[in-house]
Amino acid sequence: MISSADKQETLEQTRQRVFMALFIALAVGLHTFEALLPNPLPWFRIGLANILALTALSFYGLRAMWVLSLSRIFIGSLLIGNLFGPGFLLSFFGGAGACLLMSAGALLLNRGIGLVGLSILGASGHICGQLLIASLVVVQHQSIWLLLPAFLLFALISGIINGLAADFLVDYLLQHPAFSACRKGFGRHHVEG
Amino acid sequence: MALSSLWVRITRTDRWLIAFTILAAVASLWLTIGRPAGQNVVIYEGDKIIFTAPLSQQRSIVLHGPLGETQVEIVAGQVRITSSPCPRKICIGMGEIHRSGDLLACVPNRVVVRIEGEERSYDLLSR
Repeated sequence: MISSADKQETLEQTRQRVFMALFIALAVGLHTFEALLPNPLPWFRIGLANILALTALSFYGLRAMWVLSLSRIFIGSLLIGNLFGPGFLLSFFGGAGACLLMSAGALLLNRGIGLVGLSILGASGHICGQLLIASLVVVQHQSIWLLLPAFLLFALISGIINGLAADFLVDYLLQHPAFSACRKGFGRHHVEG
Repeated sequence: MALSSLWVRITRTDRWLIAFTILAAVASLWLTIGRPAGQNVVIYEGDKIIFTAPLSQQRSIVLHGPLGETQVEIVAGQVRITSSPCPRKICIGMGEIHRSGDLLACVPNRVVVRIEGEERSYDLLSR
């Protein structure tokens, strides 16, 4: 016997799974697309896949963001063909750093932070994770930290762009009835204000 | 009009975070720029030093890495990588360096070119 409340819950759960699968698929697509783009400087990436991580965070919370980012990196690297290589290490620790800082931001500044702020934290966490693993494993030289100022400025710009994109995406998705149960997400404060 | 619609999407906390990030970038820039010009060019393969030369000496060096030959040039007190077998040529794109602590790295070919000062130079982290 399943009551209608139970049914409602299973429906929500199934919806979440379906949308998470779609988000992960999109994130993998963006991850792979970005790997195809020529980049003028080492490791300068816009981090488009983080838009989907922010969306998952906004709708389904921190756990969903971690699941999305980590599975995106594994599947994306598998597709690109650098799984467990140096490029994978950089993107794995970048992703972990991004998720760590975004989690910290979402937990500590949950009263006022928006998706743009979370995105900037994510981009900064990404470069810090990458530089850390690069200085410890890949290049094995502390001088790699000299790149930090340039990377930070770039992270700021790409973070703002991604954050705005995620904000637009979340706004757009909220118009859909499937997300009606998710109106209270992280980083949606400007809606009330 | 379009800009203000973007502006409202950035919360007050976000703006503080933006200011903080700019500050952090400027602070780290201030720490990294303004170092004196270095004295010696030191080339590493992985952890071990394979070549050193004074920065003032004009010369060109050919290094043998796992992928092939990497060519390094010292001209007019500047060091750059002029040719490399790596697929993406990021090391060539890193341009010229001359300050103490500066670094050129070709990760695929395991070549790291570093400028060092006269005395034991300190890197960014130990400062």
